[in-house]
This record gives sequence, C-alpha cells and structure tokens, in this order.
Amino acid sequence: MKILSNPNNTIRMRFLGALLSLTFLTACNKELPPPKPIETPAPSGETIMEKLNAADYSILKAAIEKAGTFASTTGKLSDILANPEGVITFFAPDNTAILRSFALMGLPADASSLNFFRAGQLDSLLKYHLIGGLSLTTNSISPVAPALNLYLQSALLLAPPSPSLPPGYRMPIFLGKQGSSGFVNNIPIVQADIAAANGVMHKTYAALLPPDKVIWQTIAANAGGSYDYFKAAVIRADGGESASGQFQSALSTPNANFTVFVPTDAAFEQTLTQLIAKALMEGGMPQGDAVSAATLLVGVYGPTIISNPSSIPVYGPGLAAEITPELLAGVVAYHIVAQPGTTVVGYRNFLVNFPATAANLPTLVNASVPQHPGLTLQASFGALGITAATVKGLGNATASNVVLNAIPGVTHDIHHINGVIQRIDQVLLPIPL
Amino acid sequence: MRILRLLTGIGLLCSTSGIYAQTIKGNVRNSENGEGIAAVSVVLKNSTTGVVAGENGDFEITVPSLPAVLVVSSVNYETQEVNVLNSSFLTVSLKPLLGQEVVVSASRIGERAIESPVTIERVSAATIKNAPSASYYDIISKLKGVDVVNASLTFTSPTTRGFAGSGNTRFNQFVDGIDNQAPALNFSVGSVVGLSELDVESMELLPGASSALYGSGGMNGTLLINSRNPFNYTGLSFQAKTGVMNVGNQYRGASPYYNFSLRWAQKISEKFAYKITSEYVHAKDWLASDYRNYGRVGTNGALKDGTRETDPNYDGVNVYGDETTINLRSLVLNAIGNQVPFWQSYINQLPGNIPVSRTGYTEDELVDPNTVNFKVGGALHYRITPGLEAILMGHFGTGNTVYTGSDRYSLKDLKIAQYKFELKADNWFVRAYTTQENAGESHNLTATARQFNELWKPSAQWYQEYGFAYMNAKMAGLNDINAHNQARSVADIGRPAAGSAEFTRLWDSVRLKPIYQNGGLFLDKSDLYVAEGQYNFSSLLNDAVELLAGGNWRRFVLNSEKTLFHEVDGPIHINELGAYLQVGKELFNNRLKLTAAGRYDKNEFFKGKFTPRVTAVIKPAQDHNIRLSYQTAYRFPSTQQQWIDLSVGSGTLIGSNRVIWEAYDLINNPGISAPEFIANPANRIPVIYEEVKPESVTSYEVGYKALLARKLFVDAYVYTGAYENFLGRRDVVQFNDVSNPAAYRGISVVVNSDAKVKTFGWGLSLDWRLPSNFSVYGNISSDEIKDVPNNFRSSFNSPKYRTLLGISNSGFGPKDLFGFNLNWRWQDEVDFESDFAISTLDPIHVVDFALMYKLPAIKSQLKIGANNLFNQYYTNAVGNPSIGGLYYLAFVYNMQ
Repeated sequence: MKILSNPNNTIRMRFLGALLSLTFLTACNKELPPPKPIETPAPSGETIMEKLNAADYSILKAAIEKAGTFASTTGKLSDILANPEGVITFFAPDNTAILRSFALMGLPADASSLNFFRAGQLDSLLKYHLIGGLSLTTNSISPVAPALNLYLQSALLLAPPSPSLPPGYRMPIFLGKQGSSGFVNNIPIVQADIAAANGVMHKTYAALLPPDKVIWQTIAANAGGSYDYFKAAVIRADGGESASGQFQSALSTPNANFTVFVPTDAAFEQTLTQLIAKALMEGGMPQGDAVSAATLLVGVYGPTIISNPSSIPVYGPGLAAEITPELLAGVVAYHIVAQPGTTVVGYRNFLVNFPATAANLPTLVNASVPQHPGLTLQASFGALGITAATVKGLGNATASNVVLNAIPGVTHDIHHINGVIQRIDQVLLPIPL
Repeated sequence: MRILRLLTGIGLLCSTSGIYAQTIKGNVRNSENGEGIAAVSVVLKNSTTGVVAGENGDFEITVPSLPAVLVVSSVNYETQEVNVLNSSFLTVSLKPLLGQEVVVSASRIGERAIESPVTIERVSAATIKNAPSASYYDIISKLKGVDVVNASLTFTSPTTRGFAGSGNTRFNQFVDGIDNQAPALNFSVGSVVGLSELDVESMELLPGASSALYGSGGMNGTLLINSRNPFNYTGLSFQAKTGVMNVGNQYRGASPYYNFSLRWAQKISEKFAYKITSEYVHAKDWLASDYRNYGRVGTNGALKDGTRETDPNYDGVNVYGDETTINLRSLVLNAIGNQVPFWQSYINQLPGNIPVSRTGYTEDELVDPNTVNFKVGGALHYRITPGLEAILMGHFGTGNTVYTGSDRYSLKDLKIAQYKFELKADNWFVRAYTTQENAGESHNLTATARQFNELWKPSAQWYQEYGFAYMNAKMAGLNDINAHNQARSVADIGRPAAGSAEFTRLWDSVRLKPIYQNGGLFLDKSDLYVAEGQYNFSSLLNDAVELLAGGNWRRFVLNSEKTLFHEVDGPIHINELGAYLQVGKELFNNRLKLTAAGRYDKNEFFKGKFTPRVTAVIKPAQDHNIRLSYQTAYRFPSTQQQWIDLSVGSGTLIGSNRVIWEAYDLINNPGISAPEFIANPANRIPVIYEEVKPESVTSYEVGYKALLARKLFVDAYVYTGAYENFLGRRDVVQFNDVSNPAAYRGISVVVNSDAKVKTFGWGLSLDWRLPSNFSVYGNISSDEIKDVPNNFRSSFNSPKYRTLLGISNSGFGPKDLFGFNLNWRWQDEVDFESDFAISTLDPIHVVDFALMYKLPAIKSQLKIGANNLFNQYYTNAVGNPSIGGLYYLAFVYNMQ
C-alpha cells in the first residue's frame, strides 16, 4: 500500500495515532441524567412499636400482639405501628393507665384482664388510639373557642369508603388542650409529644374506650330513667316518634357531632312548674294558688304535660296552648350546640374543652334566628381537674351547672359516637319566660 | 488509415475555417499528485459552452472552432486558461489552492473567499461527498463558531455567535435565493424543504450580523445554499444510504435509516436545460427522553429533583399532560372539608399548598416514532441569450418532524411548497417567489396531552377522586408521598394505556381538533410572496468603483382559519419593502478595499429600519488579508409575535399589533404585570402599550486570512456584538369584569426588553495540506455574553469554547481509491435557557468517521459513514432528543 511505502509514514501515523487516542480518551459524553427522586429523609430513631418495648407498656404491647391475630380489613395494627415509612399519631396508655381503665370497667386491675377481650375487640379498641397520616403534637392544637379540640378521625373504621368514593367514616377522636395540658377526648395526656420514627406518641392517663351508641339511643332508652322530659320534648317537637324527625334523625346520625345539654328531670319539673304557675297567674289566679296548682300538675302528670298536654283533664286546653310543639322545638334546639349553617354538626365539648373564660357557642336555634347569641359556657379548673362547669341560656337568670360525678360518663362527658351529653340542672331558655 | 487521416485533415480544415465544430477530449489532474480532479468546470472563454469533468477528471467539450481558449476551474484550485490549438488529447494540471474558492454571499458578488470582507465559511460539493454526516445539512455544525440544536433527526437549527434554539428566528436561510422560512414560523423547518443532497453545489455561511445585505432576521448568521445548474451538471445521479441508528437506546431499539436521493438533469440544447431532484428520508426519530422534573410555575423554569413517584407535582421535561396542576388543598380538600365536616379539622392540619399535577404521557408514548421527509424539486432553465438565463423552479417538501418552541410540537404531514421565477444576467437579476405552507396535522404536544387528559377524565372529577383517595390513604397511616401515590392510582383508574385502541381513538380526536376548540391542532395555511432584484453597476463605471443596488418586496399572508392569528376579515397581510446599495473601491494598488453598504426596510406595521455595513480588506501581502467590519442587523417580530391571538387554557397569547391590544381593551384598561401581582396582589405595575421596535444588533469584527506556504490556510476573527430591544413576552393580568372586580384574565403580550447585552467571541481555523493526500484541519472558537441583567433570560445558549479536529485523506491504497475523513468535535458545557426549560448541558464530544472507496469504472463511490462513532448519546438543547450513533453505507452514482 502506498501509505506504508511513503517515507513520511511515521509522522503521519503519529498524527493519526495522536488524534485517535485523544478521541478515545475524551469522547465520553455524559448520559442524560435520569430524574432524581426527591429524597425523603430516612426516618431516624425508634418506631412507635419499638417504643412500646419499654416495660411500662407491656400490657399495651401484649394487647397489640393479641389484636394482630385478628384479620382486620384495615391492616394489622402492629404492622402500622412498626412501619418506619408510615406517619401516625398514637395514644399509648401505659400499664398504670390500662389497669385504671380495667378498674373503671369493673375488671380486675390485672394484666390478665386482657383475656376478657377478643382479638377483634382489641383491634377496634386500639385502632381508636391511632390517627393516620398526621404527626400531631400538642403544638398542632390551637386553643380557640368554640370547641377547644380538633375533630379528627381515628383508625377505627365505621363505614369504609366505597368504590363510588364517599369519604368513609372513622370513629372520631378529639385532641384538645387546656392551658398547656393536652387531652385526647377527655383523657389527659400524661406525657406528650414522644417523637418516633413514624410519627408521634402521647402517653395517656387511661385507655380510650370507643363509644358504642348514638345520642338518640341513650335518650330514647331513657337511660337511668332520667331522660323522661327531654325525650318527650324531642318526640313532640318532631311531631311524633319518627326516624325522620328533625331532632331524632340528627341525634341518630352517626357521623354527626354535637354537645347536647340534657337538663335533669328535676330541672324540667322546676321549669314546667314555673311556666304553668305563670300562665295560671296571668289567668287571674293568685300566686300562692298558682304555684301549688302547678306543682301538683307537674307532680301528677309529669312528662305527659310535654308529650300530650291536651289529655290532661281541665287544664288540658290551657296547657296545650302553652306547651306547643313549636315551643318545645325551640327549647330542644337551644340545648344542641351546632355549627351555623349545618343541622348535623356542632362541637363536641368535653368539660376539658369548656373555655376558662366565658365564651358563647351557637346552637340549632341559630338556624332560624341567626343573630341569637347562643349559650355561654365556662369552666373552672383546679389543680386536680374540673371544679365547676356552667352553661347559661339567654333567658335564664343564672347559669346552669353541669352535674359533676367522680367518674366521667355518668352525668358529664357521656360519650357517644356522634357527640357528648352533659347533664345540667336547669332548662336552658333562649328567651326569658 | 489514409481515409482516416484524410477525414482528420478535412476536420482540421473545417475547424480552422470555422464551419465544423471540434470535440476536445482531455483530463484535468492535480499538479501535485497527478490524480484526476473531479467536477472541474471546463468552459469556452466568453461563452456559455461548458462541461464538468467527471469522477477522474476526464472531460469532453465541443467548441465551434479552433484555436480556442478553455477556462479550467475548480474549487480549491487555481483557475487556468488553456489555449487549445488542435483537438489532440488535452491534459490540464491545476494547482490546488486554499481559500481561493469563489464566494458570493459575503458581498453579493463573486469574490475569492480569502478576500472576503467578513467571515465566511464555504462547504463544497466535494466536502459533502467526503463528509461523514448522513445529512449534508449537518456539516454546518463542523464549521467554526457554529452551534446547532437538533430537535429531531430532520430538524437541525444552526446559529452562530450565540442564541441557539430550535426554530431560530435570528438565522436566515436562503436556497437559490429563496428565503427558506415557513411563513407562520419565521424560521426554516429544518431540512424538510430544500435541496436534495445531490443537487447541492455549495453552502455558504455568513456568521454574525448580516441584515445590511439580506434584510430582517440575519442577526446571528445567514446560510445560503446553491443548487447545481442543469446546464453544468447533467445526467442521472443517485444515492442510496442505508444505516442503523438508535443503537443501545433503552426506550427504542436499533432501527434502520434510509436516505435515497435522485437527480436527473438534461441539457436539451444550448438554450434549454432542466432538472428533477428528489430525496426521501425514513427513520425512527431520535427520542426526547428527558424525564427530569421541571419547575414550571413560580420559578425560573429550571430543572429540579423529583420523579412521578416522589413528587406529586412532577412535571417531566419530555412528559406531557402533567403540566395541569392545582393546589389540592385550596381547590379540592377545602371543598371536601365543607362537604365532609368531620374531615375539616384534619384537612386544616395539612399544608396550605399541596400542588398536584395530573399524570402525563412520555413523548415516546405520544409521538409517531417514524420521521419521514420527502422532497421533490425541479427547474427549467432557458438561456434567452448567452448572458441571460430564465429559471422556473419549484420545490415541495413534506414530512414529520418535531421541534421545540415554548412546548414540543409534532409537525405532522407538514407541507411546504416553493415556486420561483428568475431572470439572471451577469450584472443583474430579478426574481419572484412564493412559499406556501400547510401545517397539516401538526399539534402542540403539551396542549394535546392536557386536553386528552380532560377528555378521558375531566380534571374536576380526577382531582375530586384524588382528594378523597388521598385523605383515606393518609388516614390509613400512610406517609404523605405514599398517600399521594395511592391517590393517583385511584384517580388514574380508567386512564387509557398508551398505544391502546381507546388511547389512539381519544388522542386522534384531540390532536385533530384546533387548540381553540380544546384540541391540540394548529391550522396554518400561510404564504410568503417575495419579489426582488439587483443590479451591479460596476461595469458601467468601468469598474472604477464597485456599485451594487437592489431591493425587494415581501408579503406575508397569514391564514390559520382564525385558529392561531387575529384574523378578523380574512387572512392577515404584512407587507415589507427594502432596498440596499453597496459601494466598493479598491485603493493603494489594491492593497485596501473599502466597501460601504446600507439597507433600508419598511414593514407596514413598524417604523423603517436602516442597517449600514462598512468593511475594509487590507492586503499587506499576497495571500494575506486583514478584514475589518462594522455590521448591523435586526429582525422584525416574527409573524406570530405580531399577530398571534390564541387562548391556551392558562391565558391568551397575543401579538404586538395595536389592533389586538385594542381588541382586548388593553389600551384603556392596561394589564398588570403578572409575576409581581401573583407574588403580592397589592403590587400592581401596569403594562402600558408601547409600539414594539425591531430587535437589533451592532457588531464589529476583525479577521485575518492567510495562505502560508500554499499549504496551510489560516482564518481567524474576533468580534463584539451589542444587542438591544430583545423581543420577548410578558405576562399580565387584566381586570376585565366590571361586575366582579376580583375577576381577572391572563394575557401574554409581546414587549421589547430594556436589557442591553454584549457578546464577544473569537475563532481560529487551520487547514493544512500534507503530502500523500493527507489533510489535517481544526478550529477553535469562543462566544461569551456579558452584562446580562439579573431578571433577564438571554437564551444565549453557546458554549464558551468549542473545537474541531480532523484528519482526512482523499486518496490512498491501491490506485488511491480509498479515502477517509475522521473528525472530533467538542463543545464546553452550556447553560441552556429556553421558553421550554432551563438546564446546564454537559460538554459534548462527537466523533464522526467516513471511509470512502471509489469505483471509477462505474462512476460511483461507496462510503461507510459513522456519525457519533462511539454512540455517545448527547442532547444539545434541554428537552431535545438524545442523539446517538448513526452508521450507514452509502452508494452514490455520478455525483459530479
């Protein structure tokens, strides 16, 4: 070949060689970089499940393990608690708290009381201690009236979302704050904001017991025989016993949320006596006689004065004219705390969620009288908790007291799926009698 | 024998008496190596009679009489005049020369390249024949100071001295004098229309500002491509290239590449010749597969981290449909909270801004991978007199390609036709031509994909489903991103899979519907009409002074059937008139040549624009030339910048014309600058109507060309450019509803930027001829921008340095039948900015190689070519395809 026979061959080959080596050495383009995933910082520290290895959570841990044997549609609780990529808020009753709850339930204050619960029950119970998707520290709660708590959804599923995508409903759970103390429902948080890799844990004073009734069930059953008058007022205001009645349906709706102030029967009797005496005096009867007659009528006929006043001899027509369904509707509405513009949603005020400084809350009365000031709530807090809680109606001369009991759930903070009942010692009047 | 001698004698007799024509056969060879030179022009002096020598330098010419003087010339060789006394076999030896080729574009008159007053680069047919590039058009990227942007296999956009981008409105291209732009786009649609490779005689590139001679647009260079005259190049030629590309492409397997071209030219008589040319390219296009995340809203448009799986608001660069984004919290979750009160507190705990984009489709899934380009052209040439030629020419091109504007556009079944009539004499020409454009089924990929998403599931529904699913997923204890991903999988139920029958049905229905009807199609049937002429008065002045004058008239007829432009009463007409004058004078014994040129253009919608140019060429010694120039250039706003009126979902794009401002009541009720208003609603800066001025540049250049020892050709330049009145868009919001003072609409208006920027650059090229047919060549060039204001996006897009190094041999091996060409181009990293996306491009290395084998017996050549030999994928603009190796085998017959 000519190229090889040429005397200048060496020089040329060097050129070529240099050029080639240069190209081989340097001709290396960077590949187009692939999209770079956003790095979520790897969760550090223990998961909530690992936190529960501490000795004072042994009963809770055992309960979680037992719950895990139940095939739940919403997943195994221990998996959720142990998932380092999850985000949850978990309320953890320690051993003391669980034993305390056992005692309240009338069970032996012993770890063995767990045996009274089936795995499925424990799964439901414990999922009520969990809020998914949020890591809620007590700082997240802004103590703003009217209800000083957050209306949240626990992991205890009541109605699953269906393929047509309604939202689904979970047993609501309420995170509140009084001063610097946090509460879940009305249970004090003993140790708040325990940070974990997959969220935050709050140690609670007792276990959370999910309610199992709606408010109307309690009222309709006249639990403890102490709801006679309120039940009668609701039914008459609704025009009879009917699931579609305004108040009955609202108080039966599971995903509603109310604080219902239910006056004691004694409170109703006192108010009815006053009302009837006043009417009799307006009819010309002297005060002493009127009071006596009214007391007698209330004593003899009791709730019938509300449920069927015209059936009462002699006084029937007069009572019927006075105690109308409209009047009762107004009275009942005034006992149900509501959010303006909605008939099924209000605020769930456990006593710990009462304002320390008097503040007003709207009621269902505001649906027809928007400018009505509503109810005035206030509570006093001592070193050991609530010392007094009051609610005052516009027409009342004095504030009613919430009837306090050593154990919550008897006369105050009577918890339901759709709200809380507070028993009070006066009937709340939207306008003066 | 005696009879033969007798006949020869008669023949001689006849020839000397001038009665009978004489045929001269001969061969032209390189004086240095004795090898035949192809494509030499052999012309009878002072006549139009001429032939072109074949592959090995053989020629045959018939002259009316003897003796005769033949002018033998070829690019890169000294022209020789040969006095022929008899018809015996003639051997002519030409001296190869560098820098001696004649160029016409620099001064609009023929001059030797070495004496050009401004920088000029020339690509000859011989270069094309021996270049590795699969498309002749891509050879431009090897020239010094040139950047190209490849938006598609068939869409290369060159530029010089900065401002690269697909669809470059600052770079003019002329093919045989025809402005090659698509009238509605104002830039050349790659190589979709134009010459077939076999018909290219030469390409001349003028880097930098060149409006003084060529009018609006040539701010960053002008490319002129000249075809072969059918009188000079006759017969059949064809070329077949088949190859393979997309090797190792993870998204698209190796695929074939086909490029066939054909040329037929016939000289019927001394007066009449014609040609027919055609080219067909078919391949699977390069794929744009940049799936990086893009910060579209409220940012500078830079790329950022994030994938579909890790960013709910992911907006991939080459993923379309995911531009639709909303704040899930404010627009969906808050509404859910109102309907579902038991979620309200939970929702209140979520961040105020949860941007979520819809799920897009990749470019791979949306665009037909087949890129096709079919070109056909023809010309009739008639010589009315030996010095006056009439030409009737037509070109038609159609094909599929993709280009990057503010979005990626699939130009599908685009059709462009060009027709020209020209009268050309030695000293003058007049021509009239038209370009007829039809955008076919071209569509905007972003708009089409977004509308496609609305069609299969409206956003109102999609986001509602997403919102519910997101909440439920979160409440099940998932972390945020997993909840988002679960929500997306729920909302995407029913999403047509790319390529499915349902997908195709819906996609076709959207892409064939105009943008204003919630589709992605842009209709465009715009035309351009031009008439121009030039006269060279020099000979009338006995060449004492060189004097040239010319002028043109241009009319754009914009017709989008009211889908794109503000057409109120039928198509929009834009008329432009321009005239130029050039005076040149050689002084001091031709040691100095001064030239002054000026051009005045008036567009009916803009104030007149005067663009001067002054040049000087100093010749201190033979083959040494120093050039100095002051040049200016400008461009009127593109036809779209003038007349667009298009609602694009997020707002309306309007042109600069006052009529449109009036139609939107922006004169009486000015819009408010949007970025400031969105950042702070109290910050209301009105954008008052101002007549838009053409964008302009002023440039100074010093250059030096020399031919050393007749073997080493050197060309160097330094330039500065000063730009002002950049044309750009500004987003405004206009409060247009009296009954609702809070309601406003978004409008994007065209304004001049008050930014003034300076550019600076230099370049150096060497071409060294070595013994044994070796050549070594190389160049280095640099471009920089200065004084860029902080808030101004210059889109300069040039590397600070780029280099080319190459070695070639035009004949080695047995009988010197082999040849090769190897070169390596490198460019530095580029901070690339465009309306589409912003990112830094990594340095790019490209090695091209070609090995040729001549087949003289059948006038053919075989070539094995490799573009991007090492298959190192690269992109030269953000969002553009990754270009890998293209390897082909070419057979060319009779490429003269």
